[in-house]
Amino acid sequence: MADNHYGGDSESEDDNFNPAPADLSDEEQDANDSSPRVSRKNDHRSSSPVADGDHDEDEDEDERPSGRATKRPRIAADDDDDDDDGGEDDEEEEDDEEGGGHRDGDEDDEEDEEDEEDEDDVQHSHRRKRRKPAGVGNLFDIEAEVDDEDEDEADDRDGEEIEDFIDNAHPDDIADSGGMNDDRRHRDLDRRRELEASLDAEKQAEILRERYGKRAPTRGYSDMAIVPKRLLLPSVNDPGIWAVRCKEGKEREVVFSIIRRVEERLGTKNELPITAAFERAGPNSVMKGYVYIEALRQNDILLSLDGILNVYPRTKMDLVPIKDMPDLLRVIKTPSLTPGAWVRMKRPAKHAGDLAQVLDVTENGLEARVRFIPRLDYGVREDGIGPDGKRKRPGIPGPRPPQRLFSEAEARKKNPRHLQGNPQTNSWTFMGDEFENGFQVKDIKIQLLDVKDVNPTLEEVTRFAGGSEDGTENLDLKALAASLKDSSSNVAYVPGDVIEVYEGEQRGVVGKAVDVRGDIVTLRVTEGNLSGQTIEVPNKGLRKLFKIGDHVKVIGGSRFRDEVGMVVNISQDRVTLLTDQTNNEVTVFSKDLRAASDIGGQGSLGQYSLLDLVQLDATTVGCIVKVDRESVGVLDQNGEVRQVMPSQITNKLPKRRTAVAADRSGSEIRLDDVVREYGGQQRQGKIIHIHRSFIFLHTNTTNENAGVFVTRAGNVNTIAAKGGRINSGGGPDLTAMNPAMKRSPAENNRMAAPKSFGPDRAINQTVTIRRGGYKGLLGIVKDTTDTHARVELHTKSKIITVPKADLAFKDKVTGKPIDIYSRGGRGGGGFGGSGRGGFGGGGGGGRGDWPGGRTPMASGAGGRTPAWGGASSSSRTPAWSSNASGARTPAWQDGSRTANPYDGNRTAYGGATAYGGSGGRTPAWNSGSKTPAHDGFGHGSKTPAYGGSGSGDTWGSKTPAYGGGLSAPTPAASGGADWGYTPGASGNSYDAPTPGAGLGAPTPGAFSAPTPGAYTAPTPAPISAPTPGVWAGGWGGDTAPTPAATAPTPGASGSGYYGAPTPAPFTAETPAASGGYDDDE
Amino acid sequence: MFFLHNLERRVLLHPSYFGKNMTELVTTKLVKDVEGTCTGDYYIIAIMDTFDLSEGRILPGSGMAEFTVGYRAVVWRPFKGEVVDAICTSVNQHGFFSNAGPLSIFVSTHSIPPDIQYDANATPPQFTNHSDIVIEPGTHVRIKIMGLRTGVGEMFAIGKIDGDYLGYS
Repeated sequence: MADNHYGGDSESEDDNFNPAPADLSDEEQDANDSSPRVSRKNDHRSSSPVADGDHDEDEDEDERPSGRATKRPRIAADDDDDDDDGGEDDEEEEDDEEGGGHRDGDEDDEEDEEDEEDEDDVQHSHRRKRRKPAGVGNLFDIEAEVDDEDEDEADDRDGEEIEDFIDNAHPDDIADSGGMNDDRRHRDLDRRRELEASLDAEKQAEILRERYGKRAPTRGYSDMAIVPKRLLLPSVNDPGIWAVRCKEGKEREVVFSIIRRVEERLGTKNELPITAAFERAGPNSVMKGYVYIEALRQNDILLSLDGILNVYPRTKMDLVPIKDMPDLLRVIKTPSLTPGAWVRMKRPAKHAGDLAQVLDVTENGLEARVRFIPRLDYGVREDGIGPDGKRKRPGIPGPRPPQRLFSEAEARKKNPRHLQGNPQTNSWTFMGDEFENGFQVKDIKIQLLDVKDVNPTLEEVTRFAGGSEDGTENLDLKALAASLKDSSSNVAYVPGDVIEVYEGEQRGVVGKAVDVRGDIVTLRVTEGNLSGQTIEVPNKGLRKLFKIGDHVKVIGGSRFRDEVGMVVNISQDRVTLLTDQTNNEVTVFSKDLRAASDIGGQGSLGQYSLLDLVQLDATTVGCIVKVDRESVGVLDQNGEVRQVMPSQITNKLPKRRTAVAADRSGSEIRLDDVVREYGGQQRQGKIIHIHRSFIFLHTNTTNENAGVFVTRAGNVNTIAAKGGRINSGGGPDLTAMNPAMKRSPAENNRMAAPKSFGPDRAINQTVTIRRGGYKGLLGIVKDTTDTHARVELHTKSKIITVPKADLAFKDKVTGKPIDIYSRGGRGGGGFGGSGRGGFGGGGGGGRGDWPGGRTPMASGAGGRTPAWGGASSSSRTPAWSSNASGARTPAWQDGSRTANPYDGNRTAYGGATAYGGSGGRTPAWNSGSKTPAHDGFGHGSKTPAYGGSGSGDTWGSKTPAYGGGLSAPTPAASGGADWGYTPGASGNSYDAPTPGAGLGAPTPGAFSAPTPGAYTAPTPAPISAPTPGVWAGGWGGDTAPTPAATAPTPGASGSGYYGAPTPAPFTAETPAASGGYDDDE
Repeated sequence: MFFLHNLERRVLLHPSYFGKNMTELVTTKLVKDVEGTCTGDYYIIAIMDTFDLSEGRILPGSGMAEFTVGYRAVVWRPFKGEVVDAICTSVNQHGFFSNAGPLSIFVSTHSIPPDIQYDANATPPQFTNHSDIVIEPGTHVRIKIMGLRTGVGEMFAIGKIDGDYLGYS
């Protein structure tokens, strides 16, 4: 309504009438006023059609505003422009007519206006009165226009004046004009009838147009297409606008009341003397709490608003400065809040920044009902009394509780008396707040909500979505989209983007952005009629356009940022893409996408990229299965996925092309082979990494962990080895084509275990069967193949075939487990097929007995030989023995082992001793003592066999095998094993002593002194404590010979075998030796 | 689409190969190196013949000999919009993967006729219209390639089967 105030209509008239520099005259205001006039015509009609008579009356009435008011109810109620125009015309006419007569008065008016408002008002009223005849003229547009034109033509002041003067207002012309008036009345009648006859909207519109059409060019600025805005601005001559205080939120009601009052009093004496009323209240408006009333005088307003509710004209009323008036009417598009939209709360402070969803907007548009996730502490601080007993100041909130859905149970527990509600609908009231389905619901003033640039993240939104009772996803993507679209600021178009216009007159146009400046995007149209043209469009109605199959990258605020993928589906501005990395489908808004090159790249974060093998810590490696912005997901060797920062990664393990592992069947597998798990889920995949015994596989059948899974190499079967399995290294494969290399097949293979020659040593051995139906039975091996043995059972006369692996070899005499292979290998021929026989034979000399393993002797006894040499001097013996308790003890023990004539292991061990000598003895000893023993019995022949044939090297290589052996539980067992030997050996020694005895004195002579020194002491040492026990209990009759084994030497030198002496040295030494040994340990 | 394509490649030969049958070795190596690989844009299916074997040049430092070999190869380059026959390799709820020779193609559910639905209860999972069409691993399908992604040594495509003459075959 108020717009009209500055409408162009007034201008020309102003000009005509009032050529003052101010440019705008009272007249204009009148004209303006006229625009909202409700029923001007009627007005005029009701007032007398006699023009001249009116003038006088008007003048008389000048001093009476009330009278004016009755006649001129100009309120912001719209009516036909027609009428307005008419009104204006009238005015012009009036002015013209009256110009002569009232010119002076008018000018006075102006001055008065400038001086004093009240006076101004008076004069206005005066003028309005005068306008009545114009009211008649109203009906004579054409004439009026003619007049207008005349006026217009005579643009200058002088001309105007002349015109005015000449015009019908001149007293001389009264008669004339009277005649004209008659004429007019007739015509008026005609027209009225006509109007009444056919007053349909269309016609009216036509008339309207006609009038306007004609009018426009007749304006003062007819020659200008656009009237300069500044000329439309209000001036001091216009009515003032007062801001009147009213109750906030009731602004509109107040205006409506005013309108009603205007209508009520229309045509009565008390017509409201105001020209316009409006309000600019809005949720965020600074103009809320005011209504704006346009009137000529403040007093008019007081009168008009008297008795209207909610408005307080008497408390506060500000005149709006002229320069601020246009701003009052500036149109600001208010953001519309629709249910479902997302907003952020500014207050209450506890919820500042929290996302909320609009449920409803109240009628007055000032408040919105929103739901949000409450921050409740369920009354922990409910009483507002601090710990010090003082009332807390409410303004200072404590740490705000986290966002959690309302829990009835918790509320009931913590603060039952404040809880009421209905479990059926799941709506509760707790401490004055309402909760529905766990969300808090509250009416909040819109100005306390941020409705622009909300940018809800998907996480936030999903909390709302997930809150639905049935757990279904009720995400309203549309509302979300709307919220996001509001913040168009974050859409960045860059030249090169393919863009579609989806809104506005260019809708449907597709083009490529060539330039972006601020909000304006310049498009080169690529499709349709406009193809090739360049157009500029605001970026509001734009969206990026993608096609199915495009390779795109997610940018912007989406949670999928930096994902790259191919578009598989598009609906409106939502684009679904299949990510390159994980083959997942994600849906994002097209504004968050940007075209990517068709070159796929694995995601990478710094130096780490997808599917890389990385070291996490000393014992853990993992394969990168996900690359995020700041962290990577790593599938470690145990099959667990962890999220690590790049800084937590020790290093990246380069792909070892040559890495080889053995699959379940022992065939080698390499990178890129396709294998399948044995058992378990039987997953199948391509090997991407081999790390020790773990292999990382990749499969396309699942998306989990980017299709990567980890398993043990020994747990897979080869499906397909990569073609030919050659040439995987950097250089050419030399073995493939180079004749030189071809000639030596398997040259570079590991050396095979040396074959043992001669008949299988297993033959004739006493064995027990360890497995199968015959398990536990004792028998004798009659014949063997490579893998199987034919065993004649003791229990029944039957020969069965058993795998060799299932046999446990026993000593024929003692029944102790033995290792035939070790013995044989060790003997190196001297021992022959059976240790014993060999001994017998090999023991040719008593000497041969002791150095039983000669070879080992040589190697192992490196330290020994001097010992021997030294031993030849009896004086050394004590030295040795003293050594035995000292640092050398281990040496001795080793030595003793080495010297153990009956045990190949030992001898070989002597070799080990050599290295033991270079290192700590004790460990050497420990492992040594156990390992061979254990191997000898636990693992068949191989280890000892190696030992036997091997040198220090083989021992070295063996060590792992020992490691295995070491895990075997029992040092005791090994001790036992040793002892098992000992008796066995004692058997030997039976033989040996004999020759020893045969050898007579010299040998003992040579050895006697050292031997006890050298041997007796150490031997018990390893035997240590158990020995006596074993001896005492287990071996009974053998007990004697065994000591004999150690004793013989002394025995030889001393007295009899079985006599007292044997125990004597033995018992005597044992404690000492064991003591020494213990120390060592 | 298959093409006969003239290509060139530098072949390095280890010094231990130097000898009278070097030409043969170079060719053999070329075939071994190149056949069945993906250059990014296309797959080299087979080498027809070689020509233009340059003289070998010893590279300083390594001692390898470098030969420049021209050869003619059958290559296959998949195009957007091309229709290919493929074999389904795996099925999940988002769609199914299939192989057209060396090329892996994903067909999204969005690009599958709406009557063909994912059936997770079948073993193995499948897409089916509950009558005659069953797409499960091993099924032959005719696919129109909608998008291609090329990487180092591999290509990947997405396709659709909702169109005339596409789909189950």
